[in-house]
Amino acid sequence: MNQTSQPKLWLAQQANRFAPALFFIGLVLLWELICRVGKVPNYILPSPSAIITAFFNVEFSRWMIHLWATLRVALMGFVLSIMIAIPLSIGMMRSQLMNRILYPALIVIQSTPVVAVAPLIIVLLGTDDPSRVLITCLITFFPLVVSTTTGMLETPPEMIELSQSLRAPRYRETWQIRIPYAIPHIFSGLRVSITLAIIGAVVAEFVAAEEGLGYFIQFSTSFFKIPQAFAGLIFLSVISLLLFKSVQWIQAWFFPWSLPKKK
Amino acid sequence: MKKALRVSLLASLIASTSAIAADQVTFQLDWLPGGDKAPVYVGIQQGFFAEEDLEVSIASGRGSTDALTKMATGQSDIGSSDISALMAAKAQDDVPVVAVMPYFTQAPHAFFALKSSGISSIKDLKGKKIATSPFTSSNAFLPLVLKENNLTEDDIKLVKSDPGALAPMMITGNTDAIIAWVTNTALFIAQAKEAGKEIVEMPWSDSGLSLYSSSLLASERFLEERPEVAERFIKAFAKAVKFTYENPQTAGEDLHKMVPEVDANIVAAQIKSITGLVFNDVTEQDGFGHFTSERIKQTWQYAAEANGLSQDALDPETAVNSRFFK
Repeated sequence: MNQTSQPKLWLAQQANRFAPALFFIGLVLLWELICRVGKVPNYILPSPSAIITAFFNVEFSRWMIHLWATLRVALMGFVLSIMIAIPLSIGMMRSQLMNRILYPALIVIQSTPVVAVAPLIIVLLGTDDPSRVLITCLITFFPLVVSTTTGMLETPPEMIELSQSLRAPRYRETWQIRIPYAIPHIFSGLRVSITLAIIGAVVAEFVAAEEGLGYFIQFSTSFFKIPQAFAGLIFLSVISLLLFKSVQWIQAWFFPWSLPKKK
Repeated sequence: MKKALRVSLLASLIASTSAIAADQVTFQLDWLPGGDKAPVYVGIQQGFFAEEDLEVSIASGRGSTDALTKMATGQSDIGSSDISALMAAKAQDDVPVVAVMPYFTQAPHAFFALKSSGISSIKDLKGKKIATSPFTSSNAFLPLVLKENNLTEDDIKLVKSDPGALAPMMITGNTDAIIAWVTNTALFIAQAKEAGKEIVEMPWSDSGLSLYSSSLLASERFLEERPEVAERFIKAFAKAVKFTYENPQTAGEDLHKMVPEVDANIVAAQIKSITGLVFNDVTEQDGFGHFTSERIKQTWQYAAEANGLSQDALDPETAVNSRFFK
């Protein structure tokens, strides 16, 4: 190997390694440039520097209060929807009758725009956490039901036949064969649901809330503080991204065997 | 915010020796906190409610009908909302909410345009493009104010857009004029200044549309079950309204203390720019805090026409209960 090519190679490797970050930084710089050169006013498209300034103009403790309000509702709704979706899928997989009864109802719930129903839920359940958690749950549970059911139905038939020939009880068939086969599907459902949970919490805050990041964004817009609204929006996306990653970490930690084999 | 509220209440409770167990009241805003919503915050911060032995908590709302629903279902006791929305609701359904005290005695609706557009009066809007937000109560009154100026809806080109986008649309020239509340004037001026422009405000109250607007409403259950608490609340609230408009800067700071995201100076500017809605010829003639039958009737005539309701769908007097304001 010759001496001069080594630093070049190293540079190329690093560039390749940090390509996503570099792309992102480039994009932000371009955005800043467009705003400065084009003299775009803040109320149309705030520049990244204006957004960063707006972010630090809000006290850290305020951010934490809003973050906690949103996160609390999102996670409660998410957990509730897991608790509903998984038993429901098991039931629907086991019983044809239950499947026939529930499936249309689920589709109806899923195709009803939650944004339109949200004000009615607030009137029924009040302006506190229960209504916000329900709104979040309504948005998140459908992908979970679908992915769990699909996963359990995709269990190889020969495994089911084998367990039946050994006279295994049905609960063992479910817990030891079908659920493990469904794990990769369940986790892809969870990844979709966790980002939807944040959306659900924000939708709920748009209808009734005194704190939370969704409320903060709406509030900032009502005062035409667009850079501040953007700061809230970006903060929200970062949280969403972190939650998405957390689901992946949980899967890698507890169910490493369920991940696709690395080449 | 709740915590700050409790802390401040605690402080005022300790300060006042008379307070042992204060009466709890939930106040309903019809929108998010802002300059026109300052009085209730001022009442808490200045201790006006504590003096009356009241512990007040505040819930934000998302429009007049949302606030009405929350008062009607008992989620809050008393609050602010547009009286014409209440009248329209009462005409269609027996909503258990009544107006107890006027707040804006003139309508806050207005047209805004850039000075450079050459538009200086409502008559100049003929053939122009006007943007409004989809759910504002102003839309219902638009045909009436146009009629007062010998125009019809066919004479203008009306487009609907998000409330936050209206002023930028006007400044960038996407629309000739916009419809908004004068509560926003201070913000619009600041935004236009950023782009080196000036704006013209054309309040509808100057061109014939004279009626009660935002008012203090209360749930009938609250008034029946705790009449004496309601009376004390209204007394303290009236005091807070007067204090707010006499001391805009202090009011801005009081609101900022409870809602740190709000800029005290902007709130003070908002309060100054809407003083004319709260204190004007009408309040001078009728006295602050008093509804008159005549103006109530007039308000209902406008509300009925604006909402396409028959004039005898409601006896407007049933929407009001003035016994609590002393």
